[in-house]
Amino acid sequence: MEHMERKLASLWSKYREACPDPEPSPEFMPELWQKIEARRQAAVSLLFRRWAEVCVMAAVALSLLVTTLLIPHSQRLPVYQSTYLDVLAAADSSEDAVVLPYGDLK
Amino acid sequence: MLIEFEVIERARKGDDVSFNRIVVAYRKRILGTIARLIGRPEDVEDVGQEVFLRLYYSLDQLRTAEVFEPWLYRLTVNAAYDYMRRQRRRRESRMSDLSEQQVMMADASAGGKERQEEVRRTGIREFVQSLLGEVSEEDRALLILKEVEGLSLKELEQIYKVNENALKVRLFRARQRVLKAYEAGQLAADPKE
Repeated sequence: MEHMERKLASLWSKYREACPDPEPSPEFMPELWQKIEARRQAAVSLLFRRWAEVCVMAAVALSLLVTTLLIPHSQRLPVYQSTYLDVLAAADSSEDAVVLPYGDLK
Repeated sequence: MLIEFEVIERARKGDDVSFNRIVVAYRKRILGTIARLIGRPEDVEDVGQEVFLRLYYSLDQLRTAEVFEPWLYRLTVNAAYDYMRRQRRRRESRMSDLSEQQVMMADASAGGKERQEEVRRTGIREFVQSLLGEVSEEDRALLILKEVEGLSLKELEQIYKVNENALKVRLFRARQRVLKAYEAGQLAADPKE
């Protein structure tokens, strides 16, 4: 077992030797900065998307609030106290008074 | 430390020139560690760039410049894990890639001696990688950092944020599994032994 352990220790050092630190290619730095920029832009667009989502959510919430609370509240106080027919009838009765023949008034 | 603390501090505050200096100082060492961790020379630069990309976006979370190196190793190990996990999913295509890589290596080495040396190195790399295939990605990275990179238990403790005893147990178990695979390999190669 000890013999195998020694062999394994020697194998690790051989592996170290077989995998030396590679020289970085000339493209390493430019590519790295390209990736950094790409992620930065992605982060900015994600931020805008989140912001737009928040705006849409706020608009939806506001419109729900208006439909559920404000509209029924304003409908509780009707603008017209009487119906359309009542108004017409009232208008007709005053006109009738005008078109009556003179003799009838007597 | 390959770089002064002030440079790390400046990079932490968002100075790109200082960050560039850090990359230039550490890239070779990090690429070497990645090469030994993943065992695929053609993907080393990609993983290395991922490490420095993660460093760029997490440098502001670094508490002090003194813990920079363990931090960088931690990022390296994590990026290598992620790579190895992705590779495990693509194991089938990996086999064809390997043979292609071997063909390219054989073509690239012109002289006889050089070629023999490259074949020997490739053999060692593949043999060690096959032994390391017996343990999990986590234990594989731990073994390489300890046995090949020569990091101390204290340094590993800082990288893994695990106490020394737990690390010793993990290392012992991983070493035993690799040893067993090594022994089995030796017996298969030479049944008389």
